[in-house]
Amino acid sequence: MPQPSTAHIEAASTLAIVVSSHEPLLLLSENQTVIAASSSFCRAFDINPATVSRCPLDMLGDGEWAMPKLASLLKATAEGIAQIDAYEIDLKRPDRETRQLVVHARKLDDGDVEHIRLLLAVTDVTAARIEARLRDDLVRDNSMLLKEIQHRVANSLQIIASILMQSARRVQSDEARGHLHNAHHRVMSIAALQRQLSTSKGGNVELRTYFSQLCHSLAASMIADPDRLSIEVRVDDSAVPADVSVSLGLIVTELVINALKHAFPDERPGRILVEYASSGQDWLLTVTDDGVGMPAGSDTPKAGLGTSIVEALARNLACEIRFSDADPGVSVAVGHRADGELRDHPSNENIARPMHDPRPGGGAASPPSGTGQSDDE
Amino acid sequence: MNNGKAVVLVVEDNAIVRMGAVDLVLSAGYEALEATDADTAIRILESRSDIDLVFTDVQMPGTMDGLKLSHYIRDRWPPVKLIVASGDAILEESSLPGGSRFFAKPYDSHTITDAMARLLARDDSIDPAAAADHSGKE
Repeated sequence: MPQPSTAHIEAASTLAIVVSSHEPLLLLSENQTVIAASSSFCRAFDINPATVSRCPLDMLGDGEWAMPKLASLLKATAEGIAQIDAYEIDLKRPDRETRQLVVHARKLDDGDVEHIRLLLAVTDVTAARIEARLRDDLVRDNSMLLKEIQHRVANSLQIIASILMQSARRVQSDEARGHLHNAHHRVMSIAALQRQLSTSKGGNVELRTYFSQLCHSLAASMIADPDRLSIEVRVDDSAVPADVSVSLGLIVTELVINALKHAFPDERPGRILVEYASSGQDWLLTVTDDGVGMPAGSDTPKAGLGTSIVEALARNLACEIRFSDADPGVSVAVGHRADGELRDHPSNENIARPMHDPRPGGGAASPPSGTGQSDDE
Repeated sequence: MNNGKAVVLVVEDNAIVRMGAVDLVLSAGYEALEATDADTAIRILESRSDIDLVFTDVQMPGTMDGLKLSHYIRDRWPPVKLIVASGDAILEESSLPGGSRFFAKPYDSHTITDAMARLLARDDSIDPAAAADHSGKE
C-alpha cells in the first residue's frame, strides 16, 4: 500500500467513470503509469483488467503499447506543449493482425498542478478504414467503368456517323442525301450531349456549353459561308437533368436545321438565335431566325419528320410550342410556364413581335404542322 | 505531296470508321493511305516520303497507341502534320505533340477537313510562331 503522502488517491467516482466508459479509455499519471483503464479498453485490446492498475503503459499487455512515438506525444501533452488530436498509430502484436488506432490525449484540467493526469482515448479504426478503402475502390471502379462506357458510346456514335456520311456521299438523289445528312446531324446532337455528360459532374447538363457545342457542330457541317450565316447562342446558367437535355438538344437541332434549310434561300444572309432561360419551374427555349419568314396559304409545305420529332419531344416535356412571325423571319418558342402563358424572353423583345398564330384555326398549344418552314422530309 | 495532291495517312483500327475517314480525305481532294495500327503506319511512313499528314485514332491494338504514335512521328518525321481523334473527350492536351490537333469522337467530317486544310496550308511556311498559335486542341 503506497503512502498517502507520496501516492495520490483518485476519487472513486473518477475511477468509476473511466472504467465504465464505452469508449476505450486510459487514465495515466504524468510518468505514463496506468491509473485506470476502461473495461471497453481491456476488452478491445485483450488485456486482463486485473493487471492494468499501476502498470506502466509500456508494460501493458505484452508490451505492445511501448511505442516511442506514443510516449513522446504523451510526454509533450503532460508538459502542456502539445495535445494529441486524432493521432494515428499502428498497434502491432505478435501473431495478430496490426490494428489501426486513432488516439486522443488530454491533460486533465482539475486545478491540481501537483498531480498531472492524462486521459488517453483509443479508437480502433481498422474496420472503418477497410470499409472506406473498399468504398474508394468501388467509386474508382465505377468511374473507370463509366469512362469506359462513355468511350464506347463515343466510338459507337462515330461508327454510326461514319456510315451515315459515307451513305450521304454515295447516294445520287439530293433528297436522300438531305435525309442522311439530317440523320447525321441528329446523331451528332446526341454525341454533343454525350460529350457534355462525360465532363459534367452529378448528371446535370449545363445548357450553355451544350447548346454552344451543338450549334458549333451544326454550323460546321451545314454553313458553307460563315460570313453569310451565323448561329448565336444565348443561354443563362440553367442546368437540367440528362434526359431533359436530350429532348432540348434534339429540339434545338431540328429547329436550327429547319431554319438553315428554309429561312435563307438564294444566298440570303442572316442569323439564327438560340435562347434559353429559366426561372423556377418556368423555362423558355426559342429559336429565332431573321430569314424569309413563313410562306402563306397554299405554299405551306407539309410537316415532316423534324416537326414530328419536335412535337413528340415537346409533348414529353409537357410543354407547348408557339410559332410566331419575327418580322423578318420566324421565332419558335418551346417552353413551360406555371400560369400557362408562354411569353418572350425579355431580351428578345426587339426581335420577336407579339406572338400570333399564323395558322388558320391554329391554337397556341396545337402541333405546329403546316406552319411554313416545315422540313422537307 | 503526290502529283500536287496532299497525302493523308489514316490510322484507325475500326474498319467502318476507317472507311469513313478515307472517304472524307478523298472527298476533300487529298490522296488517302490507310493503316489499321501504329506499326503498319510506321512501316508506311518509312516506305515513302510523300506523306503530309497523319490522321490517327488513339485506342488501337498493337505496341503503340495513337498518342505514342503521334509523338513518334513528331520525333522521326517532324514536318508531318498530325490530327488525333479519340472517344475519350477529355484527353489531356499536354499529352499531344505541339502543333497537332485533337478532336473528340464522333467528329464532324467538315471540322476534320477544315483542320486538314489549315494544317496543310501551313505546310511550306515553317513559322514557329504560327505553329504555336495553332497548337490549341479542341
